[in-house]
Amino acid sequence: MSKLKSRVIVCLDVANGRVVKGVNFKGLKDMGDPVELAINYQEQGADEIMFLDIKATLENRKNALDTVTNVAKNLSIPFTVGGGLNSYGDVVAFLDAGADKVALNTAAVKTPDLIDQIAIGFGSQCLVVAIDVNQVNEQYQVFINGGHTPTHKDPFKWISEVEQRGAGEILLTAMHKDGTGEGFDNDLMAKVCQKSSIQIIASGGASNAQDFVDTFKAGSDAALAAGMFHRGETTVSKVKEKLIQNSIEVRKC
Amino acid sequence: MTDIKKVAVIDTGAGNLFSLFSCLKRIGLEPVMISQASDIDKQSEKQFKAMVIPGQGRFGSVMQRLNDNGLSKVIIDWYLQDRTIVGICVGLQIFFQSSEEDLGVEGLGLLEGRVTKLNSPKQPMVGWCSLNSDIPFLSDRDVYFVNSYAVKESRFATSLVSYGDEFSASIQSKGLTAFQFHPEKSGKQGEEILKQCLN
Repeated sequence: MSKLKSRVIVCLDVANGRVVKGVNFKGLKDMGDPVELAINYQEQGADEIMFLDIKATLENRKNALDTVTNVAKNLSIPFTVGGGLNSYGDVVAFLDAGADKVALNTAAVKTPDLIDQIAIGFGSQCLVVAIDVNQVNEQYQVFINGGHTPTHKDPFKWISEVEQRGAGEILLTAMHKDGTGEGFDNDLMAKVCQKSSIQIIASGGASNAQDFVDTFKAGSDAALAAGMFHRGETTVSKVKEKLIQNSIEVRKC
Repeated sequence: MTDIKKVAVIDTGAGNLFSLFSCLKRIGLEPVMISQASDIDKQSEKQFKAMVIPGQGRFGSVMQRLNDNGLSKVIIDWYLQDRTIVGICVGLQIFFQSSEEDLGVEGLGLLEGRVTKLNSPKQPMVGWCSLNSDIPFLSDRDVYFVNSYAVKESRFATSLVSYGDEFSASIQSKGLTAFQFHPEKSGKQGEEILKQCLN
């Protein structure tokens, strides 16, 4: 009986053509060249690469398209691009540049119809809706603009809405965990994954292989990390070894 | 003849072909986009070692595009002449008679059977799955699927997977080898599968 493998996704947060990583969305540090890093992670066994231009909603993103093309040419695994996509035209531009999927975050909140339009125009399979969630007074809330702006939206309702509108996958980032290394917010992931009819990618907080084991056991379909890989603390292959030891099925490369 | 590297990639008008082109180049081939029947006449077709039909988009819109630009006939001719064809995703599905995705639209009908909606735990199916096959170049390979529709049972099936329903992950008939998964997105394993079919 075949079933889907648990996916390990490496995220490249890119600003001005360099990979960067901050703590709790702040204090960005240079981590290296996106093309070199993407190829390196593919060779380590990453199942997908996500390229999130997190500063794009605040700054100009002109050379991002060139970087996307250079990364895409070299990858034989799925490649998702997000950040700074505000219109249907932006989506077309990034898909044309070589992305397999696009991730929408702020734009999806501001213009939810964009989700429907992309699902109709290109199919749900190429649309990931990225949702940044933070805890405010013990309540989860959706944030936009790279985590800077609260929306007072309830994440559970927003998740159902984006599913209805035709999102193919959801990238769910727990901002309160991001950069802390405390592990994924598995209470949140378990709650969402149980109800959801589309794939959920857990994000925010991972610092070691055990964090991946824990989130897959909680029900996440895929899990994403950046800093722990970029800092060289561990490799994708070591994470996968740990998953295999814990009887979690992963892709053979 | 063995040094022919050109591959005719059929423009199905849906999704970007960047991944497929990059992958074909990486395995040493020269993809050439074919957008209408006049791009590939009797003279020029000899310079192609194979045809690849890529697979994003809806069954109905892909069929309409192929019918409108005369490429349905080109594909049928290649198939009947036993020439090498590789179909990917919707590029597999169009060889069958019809699809639940767009009822009332006829497929090429070269293979008996219909495409149906998958009763899968999550939709669309997105992710990696191992192929269940007796064929050495397919057996136990992990490949990347992105689909909500598939051909469940077929006497042409060469590998199967289950995700909720069991379905045909690849089929083979005459010179046609077609995949429900995306070999161009399936890492080294996918490249090896494509090399096997196109070399």
